[in-house]
Amino acid sequence: MKNRCWQICVIAIVALLTVAGTAQGSPLSERIVAYQIEGAYNAKTHTLDATEVLTYTNRTGTTLSKFPFHLYLNAFQPKSTFMTEAQQTGINGMEQDSEWRDKHFGSNEVKSLEIVGSGDVTKQMKFVSPDDGNADDRTVFEIALPKPLPPNQSVQFRIHFVAQFPEVVARTGYKRDFLMAGQWFPKVGVWWNGAWNCHQFHAMTEFFADFGTYDVKLTLPAKWNVGASGEMTGAKDNGNGTQTVSFHAEDVHDFAWSADPATKVVEDSIKLSSGTVKIRMLMQPGHMGSSARYMDALKGTMRKFDEWIGPYPYPQITVVDPPHGAVAAGGMEYPTLITADTSWLMPKSVLIPEVVVEHEFGHQYWYGMVATNEFENAWMDEGINSYMEAKVMDALYGKSTSYVNSRLGTLGERGMFLTEYVPSSDRDPLSRPGWLFLDEGSYGGNNYGKTALVMLTLENLVGEKTVMRGLRAYFDRYKFKHPRPQDFTASMNEAMGQNLDWYWKQAIYGTEVLDDRILTASSERVDWYSKADEKKGVTVYRSEVIVHRRGTFDLPILLEAKFDDGSTVRERWDGKDRWHRFGWDRKAKLVSAEIDPDHGYWLDRDRFNNSWTAKADGKATGKVAGYWTLLTQWLALVLSCLT
Amino acid sequence: MNGSVRSSAGLIWRHQRLVWWIFAVNLGVAWVSSLSVRATLRTVLDLSLESAKLVKGFDFSTLVLLTERPDVSPRALAPDAIVAALLFVIFLLFIDGGVIAVFLDDRKLSRSEFFENSGLYFWRMVRMAIYSIVPFGLLIAADGSAAKLAGKLASNVPQDWVGFAVNVGSKLIIVVLALFVRLWFDLAQALVVRDNERKVLGTLRRSLTLAFRSGKLFASYIGIGLFAAATFGIGAGIWFFLPHSATSASFLILEIVTVTQIALRLWLKAASARWIALLPDEVAPTFSLPVRENQTLVEGLTDVQPPLPDPPMSE
Repeated sequence: MKNRCWQICVIAIVALLTVAGTAQGSPLSERIVAYQIEGAYNAKTHTLDATEVLTYTNRTGTTLSKFPFHLYLNAFQPKSTFMTEAQQTGINGMEQDSEWRDKHFGSNEVKSLEIVGSGDVTKQMKFVSPDDGNADDRTVFEIALPKPLPPNQSVQFRIHFVAQFPEVVARTGYKRDFLMAGQWFPKVGVWWNGAWNCHQFHAMTEFFADFGTYDVKLTLPAKWNVGASGEMTGAKDNGNGTQTVSFHAEDVHDFAWSADPATKVVEDSIKLSSGTVKIRMLMQPGHMGSSARYMDALKGTMRKFDEWIGPYPYPQITVVDPPHGAVAAGGMEYPTLITADTSWLMPKSVLIPEVVVEHEFGHQYWYGMVATNEFENAWMDEGINSYMEAKVMDALYGKSTSYVNSRLGTLGERGMFLTEYVPSSDRDPLSRPGWLFLDEGSYGGNNYGKTALVMLTLENLVGEKTVMRGLRAYFDRYKFKHPRPQDFTASMNEAMGQNLDWYWKQAIYGTEVLDDRILTASSERVDWYSKADEKKGVTVYRSEVIVHRRGTFDLPILLEAKFDDGSTVRERWDGKDRWHRFGWDRKAKLVSAEIDPDHGYWLDRDRFNNSWTAKADGKATGKVAGYWTLLTQWLALVLSCLT
Repeated sequence: MNGSVRSSAGLIWRHQRLVWWIFAVNLGVAWVSSLSVRATLRTVLDLSLESAKLVKGFDFSTLVLLTERPDVSPRALAPDAIVAALLFVIFLLFIDGGVIAVFLDDRKLSRSEFFENSGLYFWRMVRMAIYSIVPFGLLIAADGSAAKLAGKLASNVPQDWVGFAVNVGSKLIIVVLALFVRLWFDLAQALVVRDNERKVLGTLRRSLTLAFRSGKLFASYIGIGLFAAATFGIGAGIWFFLPHSATSASFLILEIVTVTQIALRLWLKAASARWIALLPDEVAPTFSLPVRENQTLVEGLTDVQPPLPDPPMSE
C-alpha cells in the first residue's frame, strides 16, 4: 500500500511537471523519457546511493517487449571493454600498458529494479555485449517486460542503484573533493532506425540518448557549490552538515552535475535572440586568471551561434572548471553544462581555454540539440562542431592565430586540424562506428580534423554562405531529433540547391585522399630553333604546367599561372583524369603556378607540392636546416657534459 | 669575482683559440650532418610558395606538416644528428689531455706537444667519461623520480603550484649536483694530466675527496653555471624578439650563445686545472709535460717543487 501511494505520487508529479512544461510553451522535443532521481552523495567513499524513477513513453510506433539500459560506470573495471581498449591504446586518462589502479574502479550497481505495476524484476536483468561479445563487460543490461508496451503507452521503472565514482577517468569521477558526475545513472537505450540502439561503453566513443525531462534531487555536504544541467529549483540546508539541492532540466538527453567545496562562482548573463541566458561558472581558485578568458570566449561563441545557426533555447549554461589533476574531466559537453580546461600557468598566447569553451558550447547544438548517435557517427557531432569551432575561433581571434598567437610563431584552427588529419588521412572512413577506428589518432584526426576540413573544402566548392545556409537548415530540421548521415547530406544538398552526393561519397563514406600536385612546369621559346636573342615583350614562350592528381579524391582543379609581365591566368580542369597539361603561348615567361590559389582545398594533404616557382627561394630551407644544425650542435654540447 | 675565477677567465682569454677551434668543430660536424636535411628540404621548399609561411612569420602547422613527411621526419633525420654529436664528444675526449695541459701550464703548446698530450691521455679520458655515466645516470634517474613525485603532487595536492615548485626545485638541486659531479671529474682529469696518473679509479677517489674540500672552487662552478644560464637567457631573449624574417641575425645570435657556452665550459675546466696546478701533491710532485728522450723539461718547471702551504680554494 505504501508502495502504491508512492507510485501514485510519482505519476502525479510527472503529470504535473509535463503540464507545467507544456503550459510554458510547447515542448521542444518529443520527451520520450522522464527521469526523477533522488540521491545522497558520500564524499568519503565517493558513492551515490540513489533511486531513479524512469517513465518511458513508447513513441516508436511498435510494441516494445524489452528494454536495454546503459550502466556506464561499470566501464571502469579491469575486464570491461572500455578498460581493455583503453589499456591497449593508452587513451582517456589511462596510460598505455599501465597496471590496473584501484582508484580507477567505478561501478553502477543496481540494487533493485522494479517495473511499476509489475513488481520486482531485478533477477531478470541480463548483461549483454552487442558490440564485441565480451562476457565480462557489464555496461549494458536488458530487461524483458512482463507485459509488452504498446505504442503511445508509458512504462515506469524504479531503480535503486549505487554509483561508485572512479578517480577522474574518461570525463567522470572525483579528484580530492571535486566531483564531476557524468554518465552516472542507469540510462535507457534509444529506439532508432527500427531497433534498440544501446552500445557498450568503448574507450573512444561517447553517448546517445533520448530527449526528455530530468528532475534531480541531490543531498551533498553543506556549503559545496553545485553545478548541473538545467536550472536549480531548490536548495535546503538540512542542518546536519548536508544540503539538498534540486534541479530541473527539460528537452535534454542527459544530466550531469558537479560539486566542489573550493570553487568560486562567477555569474553573468547574455542577451541573445532567444532572450537572456544566465551564465554560471564554477571556477577553481587557482584558475581565476582564466575566468575572463572563458567568459569572453563563451559570450563570443554564443553570439556567433545565435547569428549563424539558431537560437540557444535554454535559460542557462553552466561552465565547470575542473581542478588540476582532473584534466580528464575537462573539455566535455553535457546538455546545458560544459567542462572547461586551463591551468594556473596558462600563457595568454596559447588559446586552449578559449578553444575548449568554444568547442564544448558548440556541442550544445551538435550533440545537445541535434542529437546524433555519437557511438556510430562521431563525425556528425565532433566534426561538424570542429568546423564551427574553426569558423567561430577564426572570427573571434584571427584566422592564422586562433590557436597559438605568440612571438615564436602562430597556429590557426585550420592548420591544427590539418596536422591532425594528415597522418591518418587514408585509414578510416568517417562512416565507421567509433570503436572500430584504427586508433585514437585516426579517430581524432578523421572525426574532428577531416570533417572540419571536408566542410571548409566544401566552402571552396559552393561558397561559405551556402554552406552556412545548409547547416542552418539542417539544424532547423533536425534539432531535438536523431539524424543519420544520410539526413545530413540530403538536408545539405536540398538547402544548398545542389546534389553533392559525389562529394559526400568520397568525403564521408570513403578513404579517398586529396593530393594534387604540380608535376612539371616550364617556359620555353616557341622558336626554340632560332638563333636570335630573346627580347622581353617580343619573344613568344610556350609555357606548360602539368598537374598530377596524385591522390584518389576527385575534385575539380583551379590553377593560377603568373607571368613575368605581371599578368595572371586562372584555368580550371575537371580533375577527371590522372593528369592534365595546361599550356599558354605568350610574350612572357612563366614565373609561378599554383593549384588551389585561394587555399580553399583544406583536404589536400600535401600543400608543399601545390605550387611551383621559376626562381628557387632557399630562405625557408636555410632557416629550417639552420635550426636543425643548431639543435645538433646543442645535442653535442649536452652529451659533452661527459667530457 | 674571486681571484681564481678571474685567473681562470684570463686563461680562457689567453687561450681563446681553443674555444674557437672547439666551436668550429662543433659547428662543422653539425653542418656536415645537416647536409642531407638541407638537400631534402630543397626539393620540398625551394620551389614551393608554401615555404613563405616559414619565413614571413612562422606557422607551426606548416612546420608540423613538413615533419610529418616521411623524408623530413625527425625520426629519419635524427641518426645523422646523433652521429655528429657523438663524433664531437669523441673529439672533445681526444683533445681533453691537450686542453688541460694548456691550462695547467698556462702557455701555448706547440702543435706536437698539444696532440702528444691529447693522445697520451685519450684512453684515460675515455675511461673517465665512461665512469662519469654512473653518477650522471644516477642524477638522471633521480630527476626522473623527482619529476614523477612532482607529477603526483601536481595531481594530488590541493595547491596548484606545489607540483610545479617541487619540479623546479628538484631540477635546480639536480643541476647543482651535476655541477659537483662535473667538478669531481674535472679535478680527476686535471690530476691525471698533472701527475700522468694511470690509475683512473684511484684518481677519481682522490678527486672526490678534493672536490669535497674545494668549497670556493665549487662556488666558482656555481657562479659560472649561473653566468652560463644568464648568457643563454639573454641570447634567447634577443633571439625571441628578432623578426621572423631576420634569419641571419637569428643564427648569429644563437651561434654567439653556442660559442659562449663552449667558453664557459672551458672556463670550468680551466678553474679546476688551475686549482690542481696549485695543489701540493703527496705522490707526484707537480705537472710536467711528457718528456721524450733528448727533450728537456719545460722551462720554468722542475720535477720537484716544495709543497704549497694550502690549496688556494679549500677553506
